[in-house]
Amino acid sequence: MTPTTRSAAGVAEPSGSGGDTATPGPVAKTRRRPPPAGALGFRIGVGLLAGYLVVAIISYFWTPFDPLGVGGDVLVKPGTPYLFGTDRLGEDVFSRTMVATRYDLAITVASVGLALVLGTILGTIGGYYGKFWDGAIMRAIETFNAFPTLLFAMLIVSAVGPGILNIIVVLAFVGLPSYLRLARAEVMSRKTWQFAEAARMVGCRSWRVAFRHLLPNSIGPLLAFTAVNAAWVALITASLGYLGIGLQPGVPEWGSMIANGQDGIITGQWWVSFFPGMAILGMTGSLYLLGDGLGDRFDPRRRR
Amino acid sequence: MFTRLLWIVPVAAGVMTITFFVGRVFSGDPTNLYAPPQADAALRAKVRASLGLDKPLINQYFTYLKDLLHGNLGTSFTTGRGVGSDLLERMPATLELGTIALALGIVIGIPLGVVAAVKRDRWPDFMVRVFSLGGMALPAFWVGLILLWLFFVSWGILPGPVGRLPVNVPGPPTVTGFLLVDSLLAGNLSLWWQAARQLILPSLTLGYGALGPIARVTRASMVDALESEYVRTAVAMGHRRPTIWWYALRNALLPVLTMIGTTVGYLFSGAVLVEAVFGWPGVGAYALQAIQNSDFAALQGFVLYAAVLFVVCYLIVDLLYLAIDPRTRA
Repeated sequence: MTPTTRSAAGVAEPSGSGGDTATPGPVAKTRRRPPPAGALGFRIGVGLLAGYLVVAIISYFWTPFDPLGVGGDVLVKPGTPYLFGTDRLGEDVFSRTMVATRYDLAITVASVGLALVLGTILGTIGGYYGKFWDGAIMRAIETFNAFPTLLFAMLIVSAVGPGILNIIVVLAFVGLPSYLRLARAEVMSRKTWQFAEAARMVGCRSWRVAFRHLLPNSIGPLLAFTAVNAAWVALITASLGYLGIGLQPGVPEWGSMIANGQDGIITGQWWVSFFPGMAILGMTGSLYLLGDGLGDRFDPRRRR
Repeated sequence: MFTRLLWIVPVAAGVMTITFFVGRVFSGDPTNLYAPPQADAALRAKVRASLGLDKPLINQYFTYLKDLLHGNLGTSFTTGRGVGSDLLERMPATLELGTIALALGIVIGIPLGVVAAVKRDRWPDFMVRVFSLGGMALPAFWVGLILLWLFFVSWGILPGPVGRLPVNVPGPPTVTGFLLVDSLLAGNLSLWWQAARQLILPSLTLGYGALGPIARVTRASMVDALESEYVRTAVAMGHRRPTIWWYALRNALLPVLTMIGTTVGYLFSGAVLVEAVFGWPGVGAYALQAIQNSDFAALQGFVLYAAVLFVVCYLIVDLLYLAIDPRTRA
């Protein structure tokens, strides 16, 4: 993940200040606009996500308290020993929020990655070879899109049973059609462009044209969509946790932590639910910012 | 246009097929839900036969389809009643909440998007972007809990999560099922006010989620419109600014309309979460209860219901497209 984001960050900057004019510097200045919020947001997003990754890794080696350590002081306010307070079992909310990062991050990255890879391959095939596949696949996708995503995920996860792997596969499966559709549209739109014709002319095999020449040109919009979709997947993961469907009870996960603190809200112990929610906000928010940044970079219509 | 209507048929068939197979193939043997644990093989077989589970899967599928076409969604294992009538009874609560939330999302989201586009890259734009990002990035259930904490627990100015009416307040005679309408029909204004107060927090919670995408799409589309040639012409002709913004907005509304159609799908998912937070007796809570009790007939019925409504909403959006944009009428 790091190399792609780093290189993307490197190229995002000039385009951000350049606008769609051929001469970036002076023209941009005469319009007297501050640098677009997208470039800044993109950096914030990348930074925050890196932070989450670091926290997730650290949580394997060190947390201030045992995240599953039941029996400490119950419902302590946020403060010196317990940064985020403790829940009604006496577990440290801060440690649990740290550990939960692993689960939420891993589920999001794995299922989005799976959907991206599979969807892109199938979509490229569909877009390049067309006809035979297209009709059937597109109807099937429209059918899937008729299901509100969370409900469909709820239905399948509760059917196949709880477990991290199950959630990953189900969320990937639910997201797959969107990637397929996007990759297909991207590849189809460039199929007859000159560089593709040229590649065919010099004798490249069709799969090579599709995957080595057309696909790399489509990867930008795909990545931009991936980031936005990842935010959505993270939200659904948390929602499943909140509803108590996804993971085994007791596993620290932001959504289920919020559900655990729900009763406390009414009696005034806001912190048990509050901090995991902020953790979700940070992750989904930075993914949206990342998606916006990538979108500005790769979508010529939005680049200005 | 007619093909658009026809398109519903294969999609609806696909939706039914998927719900059936997800329910039947993954969910294991529903016999265990009906037969007592100590039942012997003969009793089990009898239960299986009474549920139609002894027939081949393909036969079961056709029976299921036949029942569906007769409007029979099966019997809920938990309530012991038809899923169809359960859903019908709970639908008004969700529709009332969803309609108000969507209205809030539109009425607040579109002006915010317009303001952001007009004041692009200045502080109002920045505020709107952060605010609408929050609507998309925050889980609805968390927003609901925090609103409860602020307005109910800390300040005590709004009622708590006890459903559509305060405890021990009898509802109006049911006419439409919408409490806001029914209480007015009964001429009971204080009841209307009580129902409205119960609605404020849930609809704000759900509406905030709907607002984010609507405001963002409005902004993006409005920015495009403001940079177009016809707006430049209008400026050159010396029209006043509100007039120009109105011209631009009318052209910018089409993508917003699409987004509103998509938002309806979100509202169904969001309703499950928001109803769980506020003890709202709607279909979302029903679905959640169905999941927790592995009540697959109820869950299938709900998902099917949601999917069909979703498709219908898309169709309505398409029709509105035709009405608004003369170019699509060709």
